[in-house]
Amino acid sequence: MLDIKDLHSGYGELRVLKGIDIEVGENEIVALIGPNGAGKSTVIKSVFNISDVTSGNITFKGQDITSLKTHEIIKLGISYLNQGKINFTNLTVRENLTIGADQIFDPGTVQDGLEKVYTKFPDLKTKENELAYTLSGGQQQMLALGRSLMQRPSLLLMDEPSLGLSPKLQQELFATIASLRDEGISMLIVEQNAKKAIELADRTYLLEDGNVVLEGGKEILENEAIRNVYLGGRY
Amino acid sequence: MKNEIKTSLGGKTIALLAQSIINGLITGSIYALVASGYSLIYSTNNFMHFAHGISVVAAGYMVYWLFSLVGIPFYVTCIITVILSAIFGLAMYRLIYLPLQKKGASNVILLIASIGILTFFQNVIQIAFGSGVKLVGYIEVSKGITFAGVTMTLLQIVILIISLIIFILLYQFMQKTKTGRNMRAVSNNSELASIVGINHIRISDISFLIGSALAGVAGILVALEQNLSPFMGTNLMIKGFTGAVIGGINYVPGSIVGSFLLGMAENLGILVLPSGYKDAIAFSMLFLFLLFKPNGILGKKEGRFDK
Repeated sequence: MLDIKDLHSGYGELRVLKGIDIEVGENEIVALIGPNGAGKSTVIKSVFNISDVTSGNITFKGQDITSLKTHEIIKLGISYLNQGKINFTNLTVRENLTIGADQIFDPGTVQDGLEKVYTKFPDLKTKENELAYTLSGGQQQMLALGRSLMQRPSLLLMDEPSLGLSPKLQQELFATIASLRDEGISMLIVEQNAKKAIELADRTYLLEDGNVVLEGGKEILENEAIRNVYLGGRY
Repeated sequence: MKNEIKTSLGGKTIALLAQSIINGLITGSIYALVASGYSLIYSTNNFMHFAHGISVVAAGYMVYWLFSLVGIPFYVTCIITVILSAIFGLAMYRLIYLPLQKKGASNVILLIASIGILTFFQNVIQIAFGSGVKLVGYIEVSKGITFAGVTMTLLQIVILIISLIIFILLYQFMQKTKTGRNMRAVSNNSELASIVGINHIRISDISFLIGSALAGVAGILVALEQNLSPFMGTNLMIKGFTGAVIGGINYVPGSIVGSFLLGMAENLGILVLPSGYKDAIAFSMLFLFLLFKPNGILGKKEGRFDK
């Protein structure tokens, strides 16, 4: 459903991606791994048109979205879970959840989505009127994910969703991600934990210095280069 | 009256303090109108719109021109003034700031541009109206109503009530409406705001419209209370800015509270200092807050600590 062809992208004068091809199929989880600065996040930002694409094509469900504005891309059913400051800290939990959805849906649909998210993450329901900065790290991640889900995406882009979470919370998050796929959401995930990413994803791309150097399914866990460089201490 | 404090004790002193606090509230309400618009624009755009001062002065002269010279009824004048102020602010954003931003101008460049706009229009006003002071005098400076030893004129009561009503409306707008919430979101985390689909330019448009309409109201009240002069915008802007810094420049309710505190500090200060030191009090406070409490009394900091 997402098709990235010969993408060159970066920020201003800085060229990060040097002609990459990446594909995400229906109901597929695709992971991007690689060292810092390889351009993993830039792939996602290019899809969302918040980096500077210099050449190449990005199509979504057959439609060219390379030069669409961010809010137009959201309307097509792509949502982006960013990294770093992932919530509006001075807005309430409820406001944080509804803010993405009510840019595109009517109040009824928003309310519907809110109830679904509260069923999925009951913790958020009990804190709905509190300001987001009072939440714990795990709850912050749930909140951000909940906000993305409320936009009813068919493709979810996630930039290091497990960052800063305890191993137990990471496990819960990966379980949630797997369950989202069962609900029919495709995902493109940037992940710093290579082993976890490969295990979770249907297919994985290894990026180095703005190029795709390896692509494959779970079998790449056995790949020598991957084992030596990325799984060293952990495998 | 100022000298009396040194010779009197007890009830009279308390009355004098009360009078100073009331005077401070009235001065503060005009500062707060300037500051709230300024900080609304700052919080969603993140650059210093010092030309906000000229929106206030232009509105004051608009009142003088339409009401005192042309003879349009006062209430009609007020409505026209507020609408034109809002459009003036939007035009500054659309015709100057936004094109500069699209060329990649930094916030410092925008600050310099804003000082340029301020200087330019101050001179335009001087050319159009002359450098002498102008007086609107719609509400006569009356003797005032004295209650429990505190005297307030009708005009002062009007100023206080109008600004309080506006602050309540502004607060309701920011807290209860979708647009207000989007503005708070942009101010808290503008990158995330665009990721969730909020159109930043639209939010900037609205913040300039509302912020400059507030400047229009401030200008009307200034025109009623003080003599108008072409270069008064700089001082008003500095006072509004100081009030915003004291309360929290990124947080509109904070900037309102800070402005009232500034007004009171100035008026209480001149009980013990010569009245010429009013500006010095403001500048000292600005200095101290920028040095020791740059986020202000109510300014929110938690936005920086995330996850």
